[in-house]
Amino acid sequence: MSSVPMEYYLILSAFMFIVGVTGVLIRRNAIVVFMCIELMLNSANLSLVTFSSYLGNPIGQIFVFFVMTVAAAEAAVGLAIIIAIFRNKLTVNIDEINIFKW
Amino acid sequence: MKIDLILFFLLAGIAVVTSILVITRRNAIISAVFLVLNFFALAGLYLLLNAQFISVVQIIVYAGAIMVLFLFVLMLLRTDNESPILSDKRPLKYFAILISVFVFVQIAYLLFAGKPSRNITPDEAASINSGTIQAIGKELYTNYIIPFEVAGFLLLAATIGALVLAKKKFE
Amino acid sequence: MTNLYQSILLILPEIVVSSVLIILVLSDLIFHKDKRVIPFIAGLGIIVTGAFVINQFGITGFAFQTSSQTVRNYGMMAIDSFGVFFKLIVTASSLLILFFSHASNEIQKTKDRLGEYYALIFGMILGMFFMISATDMILIYLSMEMMSLSSYVLAGFTKLRDRSSEASLKYLIYGAVSSGLMLFGISIVYGMTGSTNLYVINSLIQAPQINLFALSFAIVLIFAGIGYKISSAPFHFWTPDVYEGAPITITAFLSVASKAAGFALLIRFIKTTFVSYIDSNGSWTLINVFDWKPILIGISILTMTLGNFSALWQDNLKRMLAYSSIAHAGYLLLGLVVFSNQGLIAILIYFIVYLLMNLGAFLIVMLVANKTGSEEIDDYNGLGYTSPLLAVSFAIFLISLTGLPPTAGFIGKLYLFIALVDAKMIFVAVIALLNSVVSLYYYIRVLKHMYLVKPTESTATVVPSLNNRILVLALAAPVLIFGIYFAPIVDLAKNCLVILGL
Repeated sequence: MSSVPMEYYLILSAFMFIVGVTGVLIRRNAIVVFMCIELMLNSANLSLVTFSSYLGNPIGQIFVFFVMTVAAAEAAVGLAIIIAIFRNKLTVNIDEINIFKW
Repeated sequence: MKIDLILFFLLAGIAVVTSILVITRRNAIISAVFLVLNFFALAGLYLLLNAQFISVVQIIVYAGAIMVLFLFVLMLLRTDNESPILSDKRPLKYFAILISVFVFVQIAYLLFAGKPSRNITPDEAASINSGTIQAIGKELYTNYIIPFEVAGFLLLAATIGALVLAKKKFE
Repeated sequence: MTNLYQSILLILPEIVVSSVLIILVLSDLIFHKDKRVIPFIAGLGIIVTGAFVINQFGITGFAFQTSSQTVRNYGMMAIDSFGVFFKLIVTASSLLILFFSHASNEIQKTKDRLGEYYALIFGMILGMFFMISATDMILIYLSMEMMSLSSYVLAGFTKLRDRSSEASLKYLIYGAVSSGLMLFGISIVYGMTGSTNLYVINSLIQAPQINLFALSFAIVLIFAGIGYKISSAPFHFWTPDVYEGAPITITAFLSVASKAAGFALLIRFIKTTFVSYIDSNGSWTLINVFDWKPILIGISILTMTLGNFSALWQDNLKRMLAYSSIAHAGYLLLGLVVFSNQGLIAILIYFIVYLLMNLGAFLIVMLVANKTGSEEIDDYNGLGYTSPLLAVSFAIFLISLTGLPPTAGFIGKLYLFIALVDAKMIFVAVIALLNSVVSLYYYIRVLKHMYLVKPTESTATVVPSLNNRILVLALAAPVLIFGIYFAPIVDLAKNCLVILGL
């Protein structure tokens, strides 16, 4: 562990975060948008674990544990909403859901 | 080069490539599979960081449960392929990518130019001890008992919510 | 954990709310044939919660103190009179929302799902209670998610209507992105200080070796999460669509309770993390790491201007009220910009008033929509002739929302402007005043439709039931009374300034 500088992990985390944000902005499939949000959450998790491990205190890892709980709950609710929309509209493309003005 | 540095670059490389593939593949199912791969790479990185418990949970919960849910819904809804990502609203999307690159450069500069935190000296022993199931369990059930309970209610609310939305019978 | 027992005594209201949530889930299963009893259980639960909250008045203390490592004595939650005040606001609005739900056709149509509906409302209340008193970023994140997840579902509750489930999806995607941004910000702050407790962070960010640039970046990200909850300017895009698409009861709840919880969180976050001391005049001195003042001034001016100007061309009253609630978030932020106890008093007074007038306006919109099935402004043509009580009360609420005397809205704005002028921010006060003038236009437009347009044959006559009339009067009367006799709310606000600090 000691031979990998902390910045490397953080830059990887920042990169994944940015990729996630870009994905949210450019993708149109609501489910893929969701997966990009998971990517953002995971990048935050990576930086939390990195800090936790380099600081030698467990708070960061506990936080990650809770973030995973939230991510699971959010995925369940989100996918249920997407299914509800699909039943009405037969699409999950957020451009075709017409009230949406992004 | 030390073995952990090699491992880091290997896993980080996988994470970088798969994350880009997630947002560029037109088929949502392929995106999802790459996301699973990305989560596995992250689990490996967590192991390198001595976070054994989180690493295992990452695979069980994220790759095992959440992504299976995603794949399940994707297969259920059988959505069509998206048109090539950059074909419509081209200027807007290039703008989005440009902004993202800009922000990334900023963060990278921020991390290299000024250390993000106090001069942290890697404390290997402390970090090995803090990542075990025992250490995390102890913290969770003593100091962090109230967030733990809130998380329980959060899952209850989410369950009720998902039931309400997905159940068909009500109509 | 020697203090577990004490901590549990301090969080009794939260425990009551969570017990009621569980009772509701169970009774939904037990009484699944006839669900008429469920609203009563929910109402009783709210009243008991309110009693426990009031009982907490004057008690201060930290609950769930972390005993590990170097720092002691700062808890996960701070119980103080500031928190009690906001919990009361949330409880009062929840009680009113329960009455609204009882009167709403939209909700009563979904009879089969009433149990889930009330359970999710209690989920939101629980989340808000924890948001209001949380002082640890883990708990802040979890409670925000708890509230959001319940409200995503409630926004799409009448899922047969397209608008409703779309509102829900939009709310969810924006919400998830903003909480992701917030989480990344929190992770940076954690990395810089090694702690998630606001008090510890407060003492550590004063250290000279802190990287200000990285800290500012993190704070901007965290503000994205909180700003989304209070629908302040750059993060307000979801508000009109969600407010329009959600059932009216939920719209009203989101616009008052969820905003109150968001503001309580924002104020507590800024106060405990960034204020180093409070001088005898009650003005706060910020730690010299992040200059909140110009940023918050800019955001609040942007928020109210965008809200007011977009409201001008709305023909759907729900949408118009959504923009008006964005504008009100802007006014409320002005109270924070002052960074003094005087500004805080102004915010608290404004919230009491805002609770009454905004819920009142939504109630009228709901009663009319019950009859006509839509919220278009043309439905209000000649309402003054067909149903005078509704029209007069609606006029009172709208005048109060504008901030004209003799209504309570005037008192709320007056205290805000006095705080601004005392802090020598005349320029900002003038902009806020001009904004109020702009808002007059779209509120008065509704009055014009109610009184100056004669009803046609096709306009439906709205005759509210006795219960609903009492409800309308119960909201309209205080708006007028507090406009003239406002000493009680000012006193209450002055007694609720204690934010547990260092």
